[in-house]
Amino acid sequence: MKPLRVTGHSVACAAGIGQRALSNALRNGASGLRQNDFSEFPLTTWIGRVAGVEDVRLPDHLKEWDCRNNRLAWLALTADGFLERAVAVRSRYGADRVALVVGTSTSSIGATEEAYRRLLPDGQYPEDLRRPIVHTPHSLGDFVRVALGLEGIVVTVGTACSSSAKVFAQAERLMSLGLVDAAVVGGVDSLCGSVLFGFNSLELVSPEPCRPFDISRRGISIGEAGGFALLERNGERGPWLLGYGESSDAYHMSSPHPEGLGARLAMVAALERAGLKPDAVNYINMHGTASQKNDEVEAQVVASLFPATTRASSTKGWTGHALGAAGILESVITFAAMEMGTAPGTLNARELDPSCGPQIRVLNEAADIRVALSNSFGFGGSNCSLLFGRDQDA
Amino acid sequence: MAQTQTPQQQELAELIVSALNLEGVDPGGIDPDAPLFGSGLGLDSIDALELALEISKRYGVQLKAEDEDNKRIFASLRALTDHILERRTI
Amino acid sequence: MREPAATAHTAFVNGVALWAPRIPGWNVAAPVLRGEAAAADQPAPRPVPAVLAPTERRRAPDTVAIALEVAARACESAGADPRELASVFACTEGDLAISDYMSETLVRTPTLISPIRFHNSVHNAAAGYWCIGTGCMQPYTALSAHTDTFGEGMLEALVQAQSAGRPTLLVAYDIEARGPLSTMAHSKGMVGAGAVVSPRAGAASLARIRWRAVRGTRRTEPLVRNAELVAGNAMAACLPFFEAIALEEARTVRFGLSPTMLLEMEFDFPTRNDGSSP
Repeated sequence: MKPLRVTGHSVACAAGIGQRALSNALRNGASGLRQNDFSEFPLTTWIGRVAGVEDVRLPDHLKEWDCRNNRLAWLALTADGFLERAVAVRSRYGADRVALVVGTSTSSIGATEEAYRRLLPDGQYPEDLRRPIVHTPHSLGDFVRVALGLEGIVVTVGTACSSSAKVFAQAERLMSLGLVDAAVVGGVDSLCGSVLFGFNSLELVSPEPCRPFDISRRGISIGEAGGFALLERNGERGPWLLGYGESSDAYHMSSPHPEGLGARLAMVAALERAGLKPDAVNYINMHGTASQKNDEVEAQVVASLFPATTRASSTKGWTGHALGAAGILESVITFAAMEMGTAPGTLNARELDPSCGPQIRVLNEAADIRVALSNSFGFGGSNCSLLFGRDQDA
Repeated sequence: MAQTQTPQQQELAELIVSALNLEGVDPGGIDPDAPLFGSGLGLDSIDALELALEISKRYGVQLKAEDEDNKRIFASLRALTDHILERRTI
Repeated sequence: MREPAATAHTAFVNGVALWAPRIPGWNVAAPVLRGEAAAADQPAPRPVPAVLAPTERRRAPDTVAIALEVAARACESAGADPRELASVFACTEGDLAISDYMSETLVRTPTLISPIRFHNSVHNAAAGYWCIGTGCMQPYTALSAHTDTFGEGMLEALVQAQSAGRPTLLVAYDIEARGPLSTMAHSKGMVGAGAVVSPRAGAASLARIRWRAVRGTRRTEPLVRNAELVAGNAMAACLPFFEAIALEEARTVRFGLSPTMLLEMEFDFPTRNDGSSP
């Protein structure tokens, strides 16, 4: 695959809004998790909540799309000068020559949940929530379309936890076929009752901060996040998308393939597309949700594919599991790691599970990360691995 | 030949069939001592969660995934019924 | 103002499937779309997803049942092995029944959410079930683009087929809205649409298409006599694709990709003299 340049990116997550805040948190081992203070009903768990989402005021022309998820999207769009960069790209190529491909798992279902809580006696939604666009899965894609003034291909991807990783692959295909000249990719997922209590019903939620790959891990910490990236064929600076791999587990809706066959296929495909061997990978940002099964399986696959010199970790101890936004969030974390020359460790892990190979590290380590892999493995067995190259290396 | 069910076992059998949408399974035909999971009815871990939910709604008995006794409790219709009878609050 | 020519690609439709309660399957739908037969009086019940093992089959909600029906029929129609196809699942509103259930249950008893219904609530549930049922480990995607969901789904299938140089399966579906959510999401009935598209002609391709993405707003409407077959369903926009295939007349059909962008598909049907396919 011809590499694409990531000429801009942004993030808003529990560990920080903007790349500088995120990098500081990574460097300092400062977790963004907090005890659940979000849900209407009590639930003993830790969450990755983004500070200040409630205080966001969308510009007047975007009020039709107002909801928590789109406010979080706005925080991410306006961080790191991303919006300005996106507008410049739009001007350069034309509003119809820039694709918009964003991922989410629940979009703004939180607004629907609220409408049901505040239902009027006649069964109507309260007036402030009578806006159909926020009660449909494409709420996110449509919001960003209007926010950025894009007029071409616009789509929302909903493949659970792999959503905002797959968007990179989808955009690359559009560009390589000449349908568009650039793309805005990314994703946003926000805290809502559906995910908190839904994952609770599956007993996947940890009562304490999540501890990926730890022998005593007790489940996931749900987080929210928003992030975006600009993809162009060329650019002055930025990391590179070198390859991607996608696959399905074909096993079970909520449990991973016990031998990680799908995960392996995705990682191997990414390497093949980039024309790289496993030992070229300096750092892997693993999916590492701290669920019993994912971590065990993923650790084994990584141990079997990569040499001991490939560092690996899960960063969900900093941010929680941002579900549909995990892909973009962890891509941006990977960019930060490359830039800082630091491979993040696995925050909150104390004693690693025996299934972990030498790759998985608990502590941050100084590292020359030229090539990195980011894994996102979703509910329903949807897997995506992204391979990135550091700025300056073509 | 399968043993006949007690009324409580039959009630629970009906709950299992309806909660898990076991099409074509006659609740009265479930052998009280046959395994519920793996072979037999072929239920899996997510069925266990769904069943635990319905049992808690109907009988007020909480069954958690981490409970070490689960293998014993869920072993058969008889075992599950006995466990619920001991603990029901509704 | 002259637009620069958009990049055009050629693809083949190797198989199709269509399901709505009064046209439950392509064999009955095609003559109806051509105006040669009447649609059934009585609506057919939801299909049984035979591709699923009993454990998954009993859990499958309506969205999964309808999606897997057309997925299976499209593969059959194309003579394709499901395990070899990457797939694109396109659904405008997601599982509206489950969304209503989740929102309703969260109001009073959030800790009593059904784990099975929650795990069916993800937008990629149908795609996941399809791959589990068929054992297909090829990648899938699941997407929405509101009223342009069919167009975006078709585009993605065509793009993937062109990129990979292999056939790709498209599955598009929407169901009826329930509860208070129905005041916002106006979808009625059930519609499932499937197609297998390929950059190369198959043994019995149904059509050849030249496709491109162009600026524009005018989408093709279904024929007036056919519109009521899928009326009110969020996936109604798919119908002109199937009309083109059924009618076998060269024509251009346009689907929305976004409010200002269209997927333009020029259908033609070469080699019709002896009744054989393109």
